[in-house]
Amino acid sequence: MGLIGSYNLRSMIVRKGTAAMTAMGIAMVVGVFVMTLSIAQGFRATLVASGSPQNAMILRKGSTSENVSALQRTQVPILEAIPQVARGADGRALLSPELVVIISLPRTTDNMPANVPVRGVGPTAFEVREALKFVEGRRFAPGTREINVGKQAVARFGGLTLGSDVKFGGNTWKVVGVFTADDSSFESEVWGDVDLMMPAFQRNGYQSATLKLTDPSALESFQAAIGADPRLDLEAQQEREYYRSQSVTTATLIQIFATFVTTILSIGAVFGAMNTMYAAVAYRTREIGTLRALGFSRFRIITAFLAESVALALVGGVIGCVLALPVNGLSTGAMNMQSFSELAFKFKITPSLLVSGMIFSALMGAVGGLLPALRAARLPVAHALREI
Amino acid sequence: MKYIGLVLKSARRSRRRTALTVLSVAIAVFLFASLQAVLDGFDAVALASSSQRVITIRSTSMIFNMPLSHTEVIKATPGVQEITWANWFGGIYKDPKNFFGNMGVDPESFLRMYPEIILPPEQKSAFLEDRTGAIVGDGLAKKYEWKLGDRIVLKPGIPYYGTQDYPFTIRGIYRSTSSAVDNQSFYFHWKYLDERSLQKGQVGWIVSRAADPDRATQLSDEIDQKFANSPYETKTSTEKAFTAQFANMLGNLNVLLGVVALAVVITTLFVAGNTMAMAVRERTTEIAVMRTLGYPAATIFSLVVGEGLVVAVIGGAIGAIAARLIINGEYLGMAGGFIPAFGVDNRNVVIGLGLSALIGVGAALLPALAASRLKVVDALRRVA
Repeated sequence: MGLIGSYNLRSMIVRKGTAAMTAMGIAMVVGVFVMTLSIAQGFRATLVASGSPQNAMILRKGSTSENVSALQRTQVPILEAIPQVARGADGRALLSPELVVIISLPRTTDNMPANVPVRGVGPTAFEVREALKFVEGRRFAPGTREINVGKQAVARFGGLTLGSDVKFGGNTWKVVGVFTADDSSFESEVWGDVDLMMPAFQRNGYQSATLKLTDPSALESFQAAIGADPRLDLEAQQEREYYRSQSVTTATLIQIFATFVTTILSIGAVFGAMNTMYAAVAYRTREIGTLRALGFSRFRIITAFLAESVALALVGGVIGCVLALPVNGLSTGAMNMQSFSELAFKFKITPSLLVSGMIFSALMGAVGGLLPALRAARLPVAHALREI
Repeated sequence: MKYIGLVLKSARRSRRRTALTVLSVAIAVFLFASLQAVLDGFDAVALASSSQRVITIRSTSMIFNMPLSHTEVIKATPGVQEITWANWFGGIYKDPKNFFGNMGVDPESFLRMYPEIILPPEQKSAFLEDRTGAIVGDGLAKKYEWKLGDRIVLKPGIPYYGTQDYPFTIRGIYRSTSSAVDNQSFYFHWKYLDERSLQKGQVGWIVSRAADPDRATQLSDEIDQKFANSPYETKTSTEKAFTAQFANMLGNLNVLLGVVALAVVITTLFVAGNTMAMAVRERTTEIAVMRTLGYPAATIFSLVVGEGLVVAVIGGAIGAIAARLIINGEYLGMAGGFIPAFGVDNRNVVIGLGLSALIGVGAALLPALAASRLKVVDALRRVA
């Protein structure tokens, strides 16, 4: 590879204008690829981060999301008595029955109403969800109309800053604390006392329960215990599994869009690369003839030109990834089709996404370089040498 | 104009290269026109939405119901011509993935409220007579191959509608004459739903028609006033404002699609610009000869720009026409009607063509400048 490899690389530098334009074309495609997929990635990561492998989530049988689930008050003590539920220091079951409703609040960016999830919880909720940390203020006091708000929700929806009064459900609630939760979907939520939320929203039952298992492996026997009890029309799943399923609809939609756009765009960039490589072959006809006369095989010529094209594309790929990087961590929001509420999340560019971007660029280079490389290899030697 | 032959001849000089460039421009314009059509689809819904109809929902959020008695209060409000109400059923057809809107409506007032819904008279009366009858949009019927008289079973998706299946009979297949009403929905009798609901006498939203469209906004405020400080406060807005909010919930589409469209244009500029640069470089000697023969620099400049323009516009025409033929109203019901119907129309075609002309000129600008500023003596001395 030594001589011929450096020959191709140096030829690329000689034609730097053309090479740069081709690389930039590919860079744009890779940039769009990484950027759009980072949206899907961020959306999914935010939801998956909401679930812990040691937690289980209980919903009514057949429910696809918390919003359409129901859990009766009388079912809670039965669930608490199941031995697979972990206990706190005081011997109480670490099980948090919860109510989730959606309220409408103005979005800070455009003042349009957005659907914000409100979660009614009891004190155990904070023990079950260890990721929750208060950055401002304190926990709401049970029995009062105090609420806690996720950090993303404070930024994205109006009037939720610490100390402000919020009106919903026929009452006024005071924000006494702001929390983070490892970038999870809880950061887009408003939390308050479930015993006050229930009458405020005219509900007389819970919707779901989240509990800590004694051990992650206890899930199966826990599921069996629920299934065996005729009083429970419920089913349990791993919390992380639940949140992953919540991300599917929206993430898939974004992914389809991203794939559609980048595929079409990449065809254009491949044509560009093809043009450049055909020109490269044409300019170097005599050189190729010389190489062949010196005894380099057709196969070596093909690999050399393919390598040149792929290298060119990889340069574009790197530029594209670098161009896309600034969006990493940028906050945005989208409606989660599954829960009908708005979820704030960050663009997330993962190393694996960058790797796929590079693979994608190499692929474009390979496809664009193949035909020109074949042409170079097929040049009749005597004819090529005579060319000026 | 006399140079047109020369321009075409130059473009044909390297057929393969020109073809590849034409195709890349075609693809870019195809993508651009399609993206624009999606945005237009959303705009069309907002535009076709009535400013005469006002929609009342619970102030907390749409997912909460209000008592049926609200309809009587609204009906009695001066300036209200007609009202109807509906409930979101959220029923599941076989699998949760088969998502479409299914709603319980008050049939007679509903059909009066939405003249956009066209239903043959015999189907209309069949629907009104059958308590478990349903009407479905032609798009939805086509998707699931439903015919009149088919029995459809929906599983309730919301706890207070119980756990038993709801059987329906399709009594009508409607078509919609306006983007304001999609053809992807499933409507049935509100009474049927109410009978089996665990909470009786609940409505999800109320639609009323203002006698005077200019007073619709004022009327909205008057309606909300009536329920202020009741346990069921309301939020009323015109249908136009309501649909605008809804499109907004999907996220900032304009920005996302805008960024993608920009990337499309820039990519194509690089590809086409590269081609033009190659074309000029190849012809250095030729251009020098022309300059020696007395062709002014300006002519050389316009010849190169003309070539870029021709190549790009041919590509643009192919892309725009392909988009016009392929992306049409058939792309209905994506995401269960959440994304409105969209199709590439003549306006998108014209914009696509304009864009391709812009790409052609933009790509040829630098190479043309280089060609017109060529130092004749140096260029003539150059070998190939």
